[in-house]
Amino acid sequence: MSSRTATDESQRVVVTGYGTISALGNTAEALRSSLRGTMSGLRTITRFDASDYPTSFAAEVVDFDPESILDRKQSRRMDRFTQFASVAAREAVARARLDVAADPTRVGVVLGTAFGGVETFVQTAEVMLSKGPKRISPFAVPMTIPNIAPGMIAIDLGAKGPAFAYASAFASSANAIGEAMRMIQSGRADTMIAGGTEAPITGLLMAGFAALQSLSRRNDDPGQAVRPFDLHRDGCALGEGAAMLVLERRDQALSRGATILAEFVGYGSTADAWHDVQIAPAGEGLARAMSLALDEAGVAPGDVGYLNAHGTGTTMNDELETVAIKTAFGDAACHLPISSTKSRTGHLLGAAGALEAVIVIQALEDDLLPSTLNLKTPDPACDLDYIPGSSRSAPIDLAMTNSMGFGGHNVSLVFRGPDSR
Amino acid sequence: MTMSSSIDGIAATRQRRVVVTGLGGLCAVGNDTPTIWNAIAAGKSGITPITRFDAVDFETRFAGEVKGFDPATALGRKESRRMDRYTQLSVAAAREAVTQSGLNIPAEATRVGVLIGTGMGGMETFEAGTETLLKNGPKRISPFFVPMMLPNMASGGVSIDLGAKGPNFGTVSACASSAHSLGEAALMIRHGTVDVMVAGGGEAAITRMGIGGFNAMGALSTRNDDPEAASRPFDLERDGFVLAEGAAVLVLEEREHALARGATILAEIAGYGTTDDANHMVQPAPGGEGAARAMNIALDDAGITSAEIDYINAHGTSTQLNEKLETQAVQRVFGERAATVPISSTKSMTGHLLGATGSLEALITIAAINAGIMPPTINQVTPDPECPLDTIPNFAREGEIRYAMSNSMGFGGHNVSLVMARADQRAS
Repeated sequence: MSSRTATDESQRVVVTGYGTISALGNTAEALRSSLRGTMSGLRTITRFDASDYPTSFAAEVVDFDPESILDRKQSRRMDRFTQFASVAAREAVARARLDVAADPTRVGVVLGTAFGGVETFVQTAEVMLSKGPKRISPFAVPMTIPNIAPGMIAIDLGAKGPAFAYASAFASSANAIGEAMRMIQSGRADTMIAGGTEAPITGLLMAGFAALQSLSRRNDDPGQAVRPFDLHRDGCALGEGAAMLVLERRDQALSRGATILAEFVGYGSTADAWHDVQIAPAGEGLARAMSLALDEAGVAPGDVGYLNAHGTGTTMNDELETVAIKTAFGDAACHLPISSTKSRTGHLLGAAGALEAVIVIQALEDDLLPSTLNLKTPDPACDLDYIPGSSRSAPIDLAMTNSMGFGGHNVSLVFRGPDSR
Repeated sequence: MTMSSSIDGIAATRQRRVVVTGLGGLCAVGNDTPTIWNAIAAGKSGITPITRFDAVDFETRFAGEVKGFDPATALGRKESRRMDRYTQLSVAAAREAVTQSGLNIPAEATRVGVLIGTGMGGMETFEAGTETLLKNGPKRISPFFVPMMLPNMASGGVSIDLGAKGPNFGTVSACASSAHSLGEAALMIRHGTVDVMVAGGGEAAITRMGIGGFNAMGALSTRNDDPEAASRPFDLERDGFVLAEGAAVLVLEEREHALARGATILAEIAGYGTTDDANHMVQPAPGGEGAARAMNIALDDAGITSAEIDYINAHGTSTQLNEKLETQAVQRVFGERAATVPISSTKSMTGHLLGATGSLEALITIAAINAGIMPPTINQVTPDPECPLDTIPNFAREGEIRYAMSNSMGFGGHNVSLVMARADQRAS
C-alpha cells in the first residue's frame, strides 16, 4: 500500500550527511577506518567502579571533551546523552553542508533514545536521598528528559520544524530515522536531522541488564566477549554514543548540489505483541518488518547485498533473528552477507539503529562489508553467512539494517547506494 | 520551492481521513471517560494532598492523583505486577477505548498500531531501582527493573495486551508527548501504513523525584493550604502548575474503515501541527512564536481558518510565563477574535499530566464536542490583564462546537496543536 513509484520524485529521500561518536572513535571517519580492521571498542569500564558488578566492561567513548566542541556553559547543562547527540548532529550538518538558517521552519530534529539522562537521574536521586529534596538542582528535570536532546540540537542549529524523541527501547533511533523519512514524504519538512543517542554506562543500567542476564560476563577478555552468532555467545555489552543523519528531499539535495551518500528506500516497523523482553516465536515481527521494508523499496530479497543484523550476541536474539531472516529472504537468505557490528561498538541501545544505519551507508559507499568479530565456533542454529574474520569487499547496491527492542518493537531500514539508480 | 511541493505532498495523502471511535482515560477526576467528563462539566477539582509518598519534606504536598485504581483488579495480578504505574494506567485506558470502539483487533492485528507518549516513563520504578542500587548494591536490582522503567513500555504493554502488531513506539516531547502521539498516529493512518492506531499517553510522576525536581525549578504551585484552588490558569494569582498522573488513549481509525464496520464516529482528527521553538531549554519562545506556528499549521492541515474554531483547550499550565506567552500565541493566530473565542484550561481541574496531558485534553475536547458543552477554567478570581481572554470562568457553558483546537507545549521547545472536528462537520 505504501510502495512508491520511481517517478514520484517528492517521495524520494536521501542521506546527505552523518555524524557519529562511539567507542570506535569520535567521528564518522574514525568509525569507518576502525570497521575496516578488527578492533573492538570493548574495555573495562572507567566511568564508574564496576568491580562489584557481574559485568565490568562496556564500549565507552574515550577522549570526549564536550566543552572543546560545544559552548562550555551549554555543555555543562547537558547530560552525556545530549552532549553526544549534539556533537554528532553538528558533524552531520557540516558533512551535508546544510545551511539550516536558510529555511529553519522546514528543518526538523528527531532522535531515538531508550533511556535519556540516566546519569543525571541517578546523581539527582543520590542527592535527594542523602540531602533531601530541597537540594535537587533546577536542571535535574530538563537534563534528564529524553526529549531534551532533540530540543537542544534544535536550539544549537536553529531548526524550527518538528522536533521530538522516539522511544522503542533498542529500536528507538531506527524508528526515528524511518519516521523522519515519512515527515519529508508527507511534506511536513524538507530536511530532517534524525538519529539516536545513548549514555547508559552507569551502575544502575549495568546492574539492570545484568539482572536480565543480557550481558556477557567475560570480564577477563572484553575484546572477545561479545560473539554474535557464535555457539559460545553469552550476551551483549553496553555501548554508548550517538549517530545523527541528515535526511532530505532528493530534489532539494540535487538542486543545492549536495553530495548524496545514499537513498533511503524502505522502512518497516512492527510489534510482536508477545512479551516484555522476549522475542516472538520465529522472530515473526522482525520478519514482517524486513518484508515491509523490502516491499516499500520495491526490491527482491536477492537484490540486498548486505544486512547489518541486530545481532546482540544473546542466545535468543541471534537464533530468532536468523529464523526471521530466512522467513523474509527465503532462498536468498543463504547468499546474503550478514554481520553484527555490536561485537565492536557494544550495544548502543536506543542509538544502535542509527549507528548501524551509518555503518550500512558506509558499506554502500565503500563496497566494503564489516565483519562479525569473535565468530569462531559456528552455531548450528545460526547457519547463514555472517562475514566472520575480516571485512569483505563486495560491490553492493542495497543494504538493510535491523533493530529490535524490549516491548516487542521491530524496525528494518533499507538504503540504496547513490549511483544505483 | 517548498510550499508548492509541501501542499502536493499533503494533497496526495488527503483521501484517507482519520476519525476517533473510542476514548479511554483515568485521571484525578475519574477513572473512565464518562466520570471524567461529568466532573469536568461540573467544574470539579481532583487536586488533593499527596498520598503516594510522604511529602512532608517537600515544598509542594498536593497533586492530581488517580484515586481508587486497583491495578490487580483492573488488569490481573500477575500482569500488573510487572508494569510500572504509568503502563498500568495506559493499559487500563487503552482497554476502555478499544471496548468503546467495538474493534476486534486480533482480526486485523498487523494493521493496528500503538503509540503511547510519555514524558518520564517508569518514574516510580526508576526511583525505586536507584534507591536499591545505592542502599543494597547492584546485585539486588530486579530483572524487571529495566523493562518496567523504559518509556516505550506503555506502548509495548498495550500492544501485548491488545494483540496489536502494527507500528509501535512512544513519542517523547515532555508535556507535548501524547499530543505528538495522536498527531503522528493520525498521519500514519493517512499515509496508509495502518488502518487503526491506539494512541495517547500515560504518566505517573507523582514521586519524590517528580515533585522534588519540578519544585527545584520553581515550577509547581505551593498553595498547600488550598489544593483545589492551586491550579488557576490565566488567573493573576497563579503560582505554578499542579503535577498530576493518569492516562488517556484514543482509538483513531481510517474513516471508511470505521464506516464500513458501522462504528460510532466521535470526532475527526482534522489537523495537526508541530513545531519547535529552537529558543530555550525550558522557556517558550518570545511572543509564543513556535506555538502560533503550530496552530497555523494545524489549521492549514484541517483546511479551515481560525474563525471556524469554536473552542480551544489551552495548554494553560497555571505558570506565570506559560499563560502570558500562550495568550500572545493565540492573539497571533486569532487576531481580534482572541478576546472572544472561548478558551479554557482543564488543567485547573485535572492538574498537569505532563506527557499524558495532550491526549487527556483531546479526550475532554471530544467529549465537549459531543455534549455541546464547553468546559470551564475553574479558580478564576482575579483576571490577569496580560491574558485578556474568555477563559470560560468557573462554570461550563453550553455551546455548539464544530471545530475545536487543543494545544500542548513541552520543555525543549516542543509545540503541538490538534484540530478536531465534530463528526458531522466534514461528511463527504
